[in-house]
Amino acid sequence: MKPSLSIRQLTKQFDSNLVLKGIDLEVAAGRFVVLLGPSGCGKSTLLRTIAGISDPSSGGIWLKDRRIDAMPPEQRNFGLVFQTYALFPHMSVEKNVAFGLEMRRVNKRDIAHRVAAALELVGLADYAKRLPKQLSGGQQQRVALARAIVIEPDVLLFDEPLSNLDAKLRDTLRDDLRALQQKLGVTSIYVTHDQSEAMALGDEIVVMKNGEIVERGTPIDLYRRPAYRFTAEFLGMTNVIEAKLRDRACQLPWGDVRELENPSERDVEGVAIRPEDLAIEAVETDHHGVVEQAMFMGAATHYWIRAAGKTLRAITSGGRTAILPVGQKVRLVPPPMLHLLRAHHPLQEVAA
Amino acid sequence: MSGSKVKTATLLLCLLPGVGYLLALFGLPLVRVLSGSFTERGSEGPTLATWAELFGNPVYMDGLWFSLWLGIAPTIVSLCISLPLSALMQANETSRKLFGTLYKIPLVVPGIVAGFLVLVILDRGGMAGRLLAPLGVTMPRLVRDDWGAGAIIALSWKTVPFMTLIIAGSMAAISKDVLSAARTLGANHLTVLRRIQLPLAQPGVTAAVLLSFIGSLGSYVIPSLLGPSYPLPLSVHMFSEGFQQGNWPMVYAMGTLLSAMAIAVLLAYYAIIGSLSRNDTARG
Ligand SMILES: Nc1ncnc2c1ncn2[C@@H]1O[C@H](COP(=O)(O)OP(=O)(O)OP(=O)(O)O)[C@@H](O)[C@H]1O
Ligand SMILES: [Mg+2]
Repeated sequence: MKPSLSIRQLTKQFDSNLVLKGIDLEVAAGRFVVLLGPSGCGKSTLLRTIAGISDPSSGGIWLKDRRIDAMPPEQRNFGLVFQTYALFPHMSVEKNVAFGLEMRRVNKRDIAHRVAAALELVGLADYAKRLPKQLSGGQQQRVALARAIVIEPDVLLFDEPLSNLDAKLRDTLRDDLRALQQKLGVTSIYVTHDQSEAMALGDEIVVMKNGEIVERGTPIDLYRRPAYRFTAEFLGMTNVIEAKLRDRACQLPWGDVRELENPSERDVEGVAIRPEDLAIEAVETDHHGVVEQAMFMGAATHYWIRAAGKTLRAITSGGRTAILPVGQKVRLVPPPMLHLLRAHHPLQEVAA
Repeated sequence: MSGSKVKTATLLLCLLPGVGYLLALFGLPLVRVLSGSFTERGSEGPTLATWAELFGNPVYMDGLWFSLWLGIAPTIVSLCISLPLSALMQANETSRKLFGTLYKIPLVVPGIVAGFLVLVILDRGGMAGRLLAPLGVTMPRLVRDDWGAGAIIALSWKTVPFMTLIIAGSMAAISKDVLSAARTLGANHLTVLRRIQLPLAQPGVTAAVLLSFIGSLGSYVIPSLLGPSYPLPLSVHMFSEGFQQGNWPMVYAMGTLLSAMAIAVLLAYYAIIGSLSRNDTARG
């Protein structure tokens, strides 16, 4: 069984800039955890600190019950995959993959064996003799993946590995990557700012903002029942609506009353309605709003509805209904249960 | 067939401005030097007499080897300083700032000043000697010594900053992710330097070695100031042959020999580099 990883009270300071503000994170053995957050929130810094490339300012990292934060990266046995691929440009594909094994003084015959097996696994068996510059971006990233897994790492770390690839390739490689991780069962941490990637890959998603963890959960929990408005808005589109709270229910601005899933929530910033949960009906009278814009996207149609003084998003799927014209009066039909969102308050910056 | 001939002719014509310029400024003087070496003082016709005199005179031959020594030794010394220094400068921001300023100091000190500095500090009875005397340490002879140690120190002092500038520059061009990848795969600092930084910075290192070697090989001021009185490097001989004896054919022959030596050493250098880097490349 692969070991688990614990991060406790980890901080990182660059000059006077506190980039990680006390991160606590447990990653269970064999889990695939995705760190998701906007640009500059400290995801890469956290990942590099776990890998040992960057030193934490305080706090600790444990691999099972071994403390590793003072260990140099070469002793940690972690595999790291970069957005830039970071292949050794002067070495052939097989030399790149063999590098980690050479460092471990594996004998020549075993190296050849394991390199061939790793290249086979990522579908690049025929490219062993090429130089990295003779490969496409997707192929290069596969080599980087083979290079990271061939050393049988205790933990696999990914820093936006698919960001430099075009959309189609990103999807294929993403699926391959997930299948590979499940096959190997390696404890993995994956950094991205792409929410669909996070949901497709993660057993669990950890949402970060400004050097802190906002919340964590399975993709379904975070998407359907986020605690914070930040999570709801970062994980896909959502309408955040100010509603009058009454006991266990709330009244929406256009009059509908709905039951609440989490009525005891404090410090509420609004209720969340995902665009795909907000149905619309064309009406002639008693309308809630009008269609401001409609965009046909193939599988679904996206609507911008002007209602209650703001613009709401609604998505209808399926091909049976006609597309409503701009200016069409509509009634809004929210789902039967609504979810309250809490405001997220950043930690007070610790004075340097 | 004739079409390709026309193409070749056009190509040659297009190359003419660039190549012609090179030929005029570089090739012609070289031809002049080479042909001049096959003449003799006082007579016109082609002769091997000057070459015979050059190779027959042990003073000149010792000078040739000493010139080579003065070209190679400071290059090796400064490489031993510049390589680790350049690698250290990549390690983190603090060392980049610290070493980045320090190594530039010799850059603004002219060669002759550097020579006199070494003289004042390292000569017998110089500053270092006087400082060490109370401790009971006597300075070894470093100025005008048989091995040219003083000259090598002064020449290295001049070349270290140039080398560091070039090597650190080509090392800085290596992606930080590539270095980090090597670390996480199990390479310590030294292995990263040997397996990743050096091979990738090799064109820069080669340029630095070339500049340093050629510069030191032809240096005149520092060896005359700090070197031994025997042997004298060919550069010093060339000066006295030309301006004191008026023996220009000998100057040309020595110049040709020095250039040929430089080319031979550089070819050897390329051969070594080539066999070193073959281990990691695709043709493996
Ligand atoms: N070496 C450094 N020196 C100073 N500040 C740094 C350094 N590296 C990162 N930072 C700062 O730390 C913060 C977090 O950077 P980090 O690279 O971890 O963000 P990120 O979440 O990975 O963003 P992105 O999605 O754009 O990659 C940024 O504000 C950045 O400016
Ligand atoms: Mg990043």
